[in-house]
Amino acid sequence: MSAKNHKQWKIPAFEQGDYVDSRIYSDQNIFDEEQDKIFKQVWIPVCHESELPEAYDFRTTSIAKEPIIVVRGKDNEVRAFLNVCPHRGMRIERRTAGSFSDGQPSGNPKHMTCMFHAWQFDMKGNCVDIPRAKEGYQDRLTKENVGLRRLRCEVRFGGFVWVTLNDKVEQDLEAWADGAFECIRSAIDTEPLEVFHYHKAIIDSNYKLWHDTNSEFYHDYMHYHNRVTGFNDEYFARTNKGFKNGHVNVNSFTVQYGEFELGESREDLSFPGFPPNQWYMIDLFPGMNFNLRGSALRCDIVTPLGPNKVMIEFRGLGLKSDSQKDRKTRIEHHNSIWGPFGRNLHEDLLGITGQGASMQTGSEPRRILHGRHENNLIHDEIGMRHFYDEWSKWMGRNPSDPMDEQRKVLAAE
Amino acid sequence: MNAMKAAITAAVTDIVYRSCLYLDNGNWGEFLNLCDDSMIYSIKAYSVEIRRDMEYLSHNKKELGTLTEMLPKLNSDHSPLRRHASVYTVDIGEDGETATAVTSLAVYQNMHDGINSHIDSGETRLFLVGKYLDKFKISGESALLIEREVRLDTRRLDKGTHHLI
Ligand code: FES
Ligand SMILES: [Fe+2]
Repeated sequence: MSAKNHKQWKIPAFEQGDYVDSRIYSDQNIFDEEQDKIFKQVWIPVCHESELPEAYDFRTTSIAKEPIIVVRGKDNEVRAFLNVCPHRGMRIERRTAGSFSDGQPSGNPKHMTCMFHAWQFDMKGNCVDIPRAKEGYQDRLTKENVGLRRLRCEVRFGGFVWVTLNDKVEQDLEAWADGAFECIRSAIDTEPLEVFHYHKAIIDSNYKLWHDTNSEFYHDYMHYHNRVTGFNDEYFARTNKGFKNGHVNVNSFTVQYGEFELGESREDLSFPGFPPNQWYMIDLFPGMNFNLRGSALRCDIVTPLGPNKVMIEFRGLGLKSDSQKDRKTRIEHHNSIWGPFGRNLHEDLLGITGQGASMQTGSEPRRILHGRHENNLIHDEIGMRHFYDEWSKWMGRNPSDPMDEQRKVLAAE
Repeated sequence: MNAMKAAITAAVTDIVYRSCLYLDNGNWGEFLNLCDDSMIYSIKAYSVEIRRDMEYLSHNKKELGTLTEMLPKLNSDHSPLRRHASVYTVDIGEDGETATAVTSLAVYQNMHDGINSHIDSGETRLFLVGKYLDKFKISGESALLIEREVRLDTRRLDKGTHHLI
């Protein structure tokens, strides 16, 4: 049988788990549920500590539409709060990054000030001033009653700042990651890292399609660069390893950077204790990726904006101690592949854009195949299957049958 | 001297505009002919998020040649980029051997495929805005590019591109 009608097309001889229903990428209700059941519950990396190097530096971000501010106190501690004023709900800080050392038109130095009615807060989130409090609130409300909403926050795994909206989060970050970072631990935790690259993309596609791309290497066929620098016995011997909580990592091989016309070996520049020209990949549930490749660390953070819209933030990192020359080399290596004008990233983004075009809300449900089995080797799609096993637990939905239709039909028979 | 200055200014302006046409049309070889062997090309932007200057791409003339020859092997968007440029200033060095030019730049994308070619093709979108900060080597009344920094204002580049800006 060649071309198929819709019913035939939906049924390859695959077990559930070897495919997902395309509606998990396009349904508005599923998207809304994911925000509540997953993104508001788990640890999310929101920025890197080098983006707020000095006391009183801040960075604003968001998780599941909740605005967040990360600040460094004068005690050097990094803390996170909802970026929301307890008075009438104004967003307190509007800039994306900066410092509170200097005053603002309606605020004193070294304070976070809501510009609306000038309530002021210190770097620990305490409210330290309410203009004319006594006159308006008498003794019914004082500044002691109204601090900022503090969020659980940890700086970990190479200096990333992780935040959760979940006050009752059961696992600390170390337990949550379940050892997925151990393969690059000494490389990223021996000495401080520093961000040198940031850019973002907003794509009409589902966030999980980006994470899927980061979780499968079969698409290396799309990248000329990866075909010529990889695709040798060592590459095909790489394995995927699953961890608790839906995380996966992929072990390394020696990339033949010299095989690429514009490439050069990267053996002179690496990370502490990290052999040259290696490439490890860590995919963290529910959509974060850490990619240590030769001389640069890349991190992708997804912010889902709708069933068919995602923002992806891309960061590149080197060592804080880098000489100017080494830093320039790291930047070149990073951006020649992963920058907005780099060889691979553009192709990866074209891939999920095309998937997004075919999986818009209301489109005919399809089966998206995750069924390559190859002893967990590099082109085995175990990474995606492992992710969706976890997704299923948080969502209470079967990704192969998210609307419970197949189960009902079987039960009726 | 004023006639000389005017001639150099005209030569520099001509190179900037020609470079736009050649890049628009994908005439990479012609573009490289406007460049001295010492040419350095870069794309830079300042990130307000990480409060750092960033270098998105950096190549010498030889690498630019390799990069542009490689384009047919890479998967890319089919939508061509088109420049609108205005040369704001041309300044000639005191020794008369170098010049710099600042050019305001808008790059549009004429959609051939986009998200779904059936719907998007034919549309023109703003791809980015920025400036060309160019340096030239002058000999007599002719000029060659020795440095081009594409200084981007736009930092949300979404799908990005394999092409030179
Ligand atoms: S809303 Fe913030 S001070 Fe009034
Ligand atoms: Fe890729």
